[in-house]
Order: sequence, then C-alpha cells, then structure tokens
Amino acid sequence: MISRGAFRVKALALALCLAHSAAVANTHLEQAVKANYLVRFTAFVEWPTAAFPADGSPLHICVAGADPFGQTLDRAAQGQTAWGHPITVRRVGSESLRGCHVAYLGRGYSLTAATNLPVLTVTDADVSGHRGAVHFVVVNSRVRFHIDQGQSQRAGLRISSRLLNLALSVRGAR
Amino acid sequence: MNRLRRTLAGIGLPILAVGSLALLLAVAAVVFLLNEQAVRRDLAREAGAQADLLASAVSGALAFDDQTAAQDYVDAVQVNPNVLAAAIYDQNNRLVASYARGGETIPPVATPRDHTTQFLDGRLYVVRPVTQGGQRLGTARLRLVGKPLAQQRTQGVGLFLVVALSALLMTVLAVGQAALKRANRQLAARAEELAGANAQLHEQMAERERAEEALRQSQKLEAVGRLTGGVAHDFNNLLMVVSSAADMLQRSDDPKRREALIAGMRQAVERGSGLTRQLLAFSRRKPLKSAVVDVGEQVERMRILLERSLREDIRVSIDVQRPLRPVELDVGELELALLNLAVNARDAMPDGGELTITVFSEPTNDERICIRVADTGVGMSPAVQSRVFEPFFTTKEVGRGTGLGLSQVYGFARSSGGDVTVQSEEGRGAVFTLCLPTTDKALAAEVSAAPPAAPRARGRALLVEDDDGVAAGIGHMLRDLGYTYVRACAADEALKMFDGSDLYDLVISDMVMPGPMNGLALAREIRNRRPDQPIVLSTGFSEAAAAAGEAGFPLLTKPYGIPELAEAIHAAGPRRGTVTEA
Repeated sequence: MISRGAFRVKALALALCLAHSAAVANTHLEQAVKANYLVRFTAFVEWPTAAFPADGSPLHICVAGADPFGQTLDRAAQGQTAWGHPITVRRVGSESLRGCHVAYLGRGYSLTAATNLPVLTVTDADVSGHRGAVHFVVVNSRVRFHIDQGQSQRAGLRISSRLLNLALSVRGAR
Repeated sequence: MNRLRRTLAGIGLPILAVGSLALLLAVAAVVFLLNEQAVRRDLAREAGAQADLLASAVSGALAFDDQTAAQDYVDAVQVNPNVLAAAIYDQNNRLVASYARGGETIPPVATPRDHTTQFLDGRLYVVRPVTQGGQRLGTARLRLVGKPLAQQRTQGVGLFLVVALSALLMTVLAVGQAALKRANRQLAARAEELAGANAQLHEQMAERERAEEALRQSQKLEAVGRLTGGVAHDFNNLLMVVSSAADMLQRSDDPKRREALIAGMRQAVERGSGLTRQLLAFSRRKPLKSAVVDVGEQVERMRILLERSLREDIRVSIDVQRPLRPVELDVGELELALLNLAVNARDAMPDGGELTITVFSEPTNDERICIRVADTGVGMSPAVQSRVFEPFFTTKEVGRGTGLGLSQVYGFARSSGGDVTVQSEEGRGAVFTLCLPTTDKALAAEVSAAPPAAPRARGRALLVEDDDGVAAGIGHMLRDLGYTYVRACAADEALKMFDGSDLYDLVISDMVMPGPMNGLALAREIRNRRPDQPIVLSTGFSEAAAAAGEAGFPLLTKPYGIPELAEAIHAAGPRRGTVTEA
C-alpha cells in the first residue's frame, strides 16, 4: 500500500518531467504548426494553370536551404490534396525552385533565385528578417504571418481573401 | 311533431354554423400541415445556407487556428434569433469556437458528422463541412428552433383568428336568431293587444251609437215638448178663426159675408190639417205606406196643388227628365215634402220669383232619382244652411212657421234611404236636392189613378164613429155623396147592426174607439163574414194608420173632406152586384 506522502513525491516528479518535455516540445510544436500551415496555404492560393503540367499532377511543397521540419512536414502533407493536386514534399537544398509551388526558405537560401517562378515563397522570422510572399512570425506564442501581395502577384498567384484576413499585415496590395 | 319541426327549424341555423366551423377548422388544419411542411423545407434550406456561409467564412480561421476570428464569425450568426447554438469544430472534431443561448449545451468534442440536416425534438441540427481548396478543415454546426418563433406566433394567431371569427359568426347567428324569435314573440303579443284594442273600440263604438241614439231620442222628446207650445199657439189661432167665424155665421144672413166666413173657416181648417199632418210625419219613424211609384208622375200630379199653394207672383216650372226608374216611397210623405219645399221657397221669395222643380236620374248613378227644387229667393247664410233641417229651426216670425217643414223633408229623405242637400248663397236663391234610391220592384198597378172629382154613388152606409160631431160631419159628406147611413157608436154595436141588417154598400169606421174592439178588428171581423164588403177606415193617429195600411184597408186620415172620402170609397171598390153611378 502506498502512503499519501509517497504519492505526493511521485506526482511532483511527474509534473517536473512534463514541464521539461513541454519546453522541448514547444519548438517542436512550433515547427509542426508551421509545417501544417505550409500544407494549409496551398488551399488558399491559386496557381496559374501553367504551374501544373497536367490535372492531378502533384503540388510540390519545397523546403529550400536548411530543413527545420524533418518528418513533421511529410506527416502533415501526407494524403493531403489542394485543388485536386496531391501534395508532395521536396527538399531542394540550394537548388532552383523551379517545379515548386510553395517554397519554405530555410537558413542559407537566397531568395533572388526564385523571383519569377509561380512559387509561393514562405520566409520565417526565425530564419531571417527578409520577407517572402508569406512571412512567419511568432506573436504571443502563436504562429502568425505577414503577407506581401506584391511578391505573390509577381509570381502570378492569387491569395484568397480568407487568408489575407488572417494575416497580421498585408503589404503591396494593388 | 309540429313542435319537433319547429325545434329543428329553430336549431337549423346553429347546426349550419357548427358545420361551417368544423369545415373551417379542418381546412385550417390541412393548411397548417401543408404550411408546416413547407416551413420546415424552407427552414432547412435557410439553415443550410447559413451553415454553408459560416463554414466557408470560417475556413481561414479554422485552417490557421485563429480562434478569435472563428469566434467572430460564430457570434455573427447570433443575429438570427432562431439559432439556438452555433459551433465550429476542427477536423479532429474538437471545439474551436461556439456560442449558445440559455439552456443549450455545446459538447467539446463532436460526434463525427459530415453533411447533416436533421429535425430532432423540435430542433433543427445542421452540420456543414468546412473545406478549402479540397482540404477538410472541420465542421460548422448550427442548432436552430424547429419552428421559427415568428412563424409559430403567426400561425397561432392565424388559427386563433379563424376560431375566433367562427365563434363570433356563431355567436352573431345565435344572437340574431334569438333576437328574431324575441321580435316574433313581441309581434304576436302586439297583434293580440291590437285585436283586443280593436274589440274594445268596436264595443265603444256600439256604446257610442247607443248613446247617440238615446241622445237623438231625448232631443226629439225635447223637441216635442217645445212643439207643444208652438202648435198650441197655432191651433189657438186657428180655433179662434173658426169659433169667431161660426159665431158670425149665426148672426149674419148676408150670403156674401157667410161665403167669406166659410172660406176663412176652411182655410183655417186646412192650415190646422197641414200642421197636424206634419206633426204626425215628424213623430213617425217608418213610412206610413210605401208604394212603388214613378216620381216624375207624382211631381207632375202635384203641379196644380203647388200652383195653388203658392202665390200668383211665383211662376212654377216642372221639368221631368225621363227615363226614370221607379222609387218605393210613401206618396203622402213625398207630396208633403214637395209642399214643404215649395212653401219654403215661397216664403223665401216675398217679392215673387221662379220656382223650378227638376226630376232627374243622378248622372253618375241611376240607382238614385233626384228632385231639385230651386228658387230665386233671398237665399241663406252658411250658418242658416247648416241648421236648416233641424226640427223647429225657423227664420220666420212667431206664428208664421213651425220649423217642421224642412225637417220633414229631411226625415222623409232619410227614412226612404236617400238624402237631401242644400246649396245657397245669400241673395242668390237656394237649391234643395232630394235624392231617393230606386227600386227593382214593378210599378204599382194604377194607385188611385185619376180620382173622381166627386163620384156619386148610391147606397147604404154603416158609419161607426164615437164622436158625435165628427159623425155628423161625415154623415153630411156621405149624404152629399149619395149615401144613406146608419150610425153605430162602438164596434160591437156596429157588428150587431151589420149582422142584423140587409147588406151595406159601405162600412166606414173610425179606428180608435172605446170598447173592447177597435176599428181594425171590426173591419177584419166584417171581412171574415163578407170578404167582398167595401170597408174604409179613418183615423187621426199615425200608428193606427200604419196598421190599417198593412191590413190592406183604404184609409182616411182625419181631417178629410169630400174629395178624400170619395177617393177612399172608390179605392174600397164597389160591392159585387151593386150599381154605382159616376
């Protein structure tokens, strides 16, 4: 039979253990949210038909530069579609973004290479201050984003107003 | 049976009303059900649309975990009062945003549902998926009132109105029916009252008639009283004339003077006779003896009499416009009436004038014969006209008139079923019109036509008369007519004489006599023994005269002269086998 005092010690230990794992998981959760958002963005953005070789051809989410997501992004994209296109994840490293539809620019990737392609560029305040069409920030422990319509329009993309409504700011509106 | 029918008729209207009400309710129920279905369909469609709207609006917020935005969208749904609860669940069916009205609960984890529209326990549950670009993000769920409040209220009010209107209709009908019945009852009561009042009125009228009759009778009695004085005065004057003349006759031997005295006496007697005749006519109620005559002929026959009774300065013209239907009346009364009218006209023309008598059928109505007596005299004021037929009303000075003349005319007209009217203006003469009803009876066969001026007969007469003076007078006249006579003073004596003697050519008897048997009874007795015995009755009493007329005996009314006696004897007829010389 367990005494009441012994139970208290065990409970305290468990709480401490959980707090530690939460701190670890916090970064992990942030990346998971961002990965999830990357998949979700595809539903709120329309690409020119030329961006896809055929109906039903995959929609590529590319991670350029360093990949902060690992398997998280693959899990988020698994089985998902957007506009009838199955979503696949590609890691392009420092290569061209050609063939990509959404590109997360991780550390060590220069944006200039992606200018005229129909790609939704997603930057991250964690990575650099430089902004793509969508720019992740963390506000009040929540992942939010800014939108630069100038960039998305140059890329020939249309961002849904429902996404614009959720942005912390929208820049470059016509 | 009758009562049952009446009861059915009475409740017929309410039955109709109840039937109508039931029909109305049935129709209302059907409409209600149909409406209910339509309403549910509409409601489901509206709720679905709202849920769709919410789902599409909230997609961004749901996709990017923006709970505030999601809540804003959910709150916006509150605007619809029919929404009891609204909720947004993520793709793992965990609650993201919600709102609920009092009493509604929101489960934190939803049963996995995709696309649902479901009525359950008076609620409408609507679930719509939130998708974007083909990605499933979660569900938007609404819980609504199964029947919108406003609609419920409207339907309730509508139903209530239908029922209320029907009830009102029924009430109005029932009230109307009741009012009608009450009115009918009142009407019946009124009719009864009216009938009662009518009967009372009739009774009162009869009573009034009786009272008026009594008044007339009493007026007549009063008039008779007043008459006595006037007549006594007139008679005293006449008697004065006769008595003084009789005295003078005794003392005078001058034939001329005696002739004058006798003429004066005869005149006095004539005036007295006229006076009594008028009195008798006045006191009589029924015609003395009615006969069917030609009025025109009667008037023509009076021409000489009229001319004689008027003055030389009055011209008489008689115009009989034929054809004329016969009239049933008392000839004597007619003559008297004409005489009275003529005398009245004469007195109205002190300076002479013209008297026109016209006999004609009433133009518009040949059921009546009229005699118009027009004079050119002084005329009458309206006041006088209105009283001219009243007994004893006279404008003449005391002793000149009795006031009975025109009232006799009036009485004669009324008792004959006719009437008399007067038209006059002061200074422009007067027109009296006496109208009498005609009869369908045939003219009497020669009523004492052309009486012999002085027929001379020869024979034996039995005179029955209790008054010695009168008997002597009649005896003189009988002798003058060629009869020898024996006299009896009473009826029984006369009967003995009649039985104990040879045949009499004539029996002449007074009617009112002392003794157990009167003249009429005697006449009947004699007629029984000898039906062809000529009998003449005489009397001064009107009632007795009427009885004699009814019994069919020729009648002499006292006083009478030789011509009247001769005429009566002629009317009695000759006894068979007796020679009569003309």
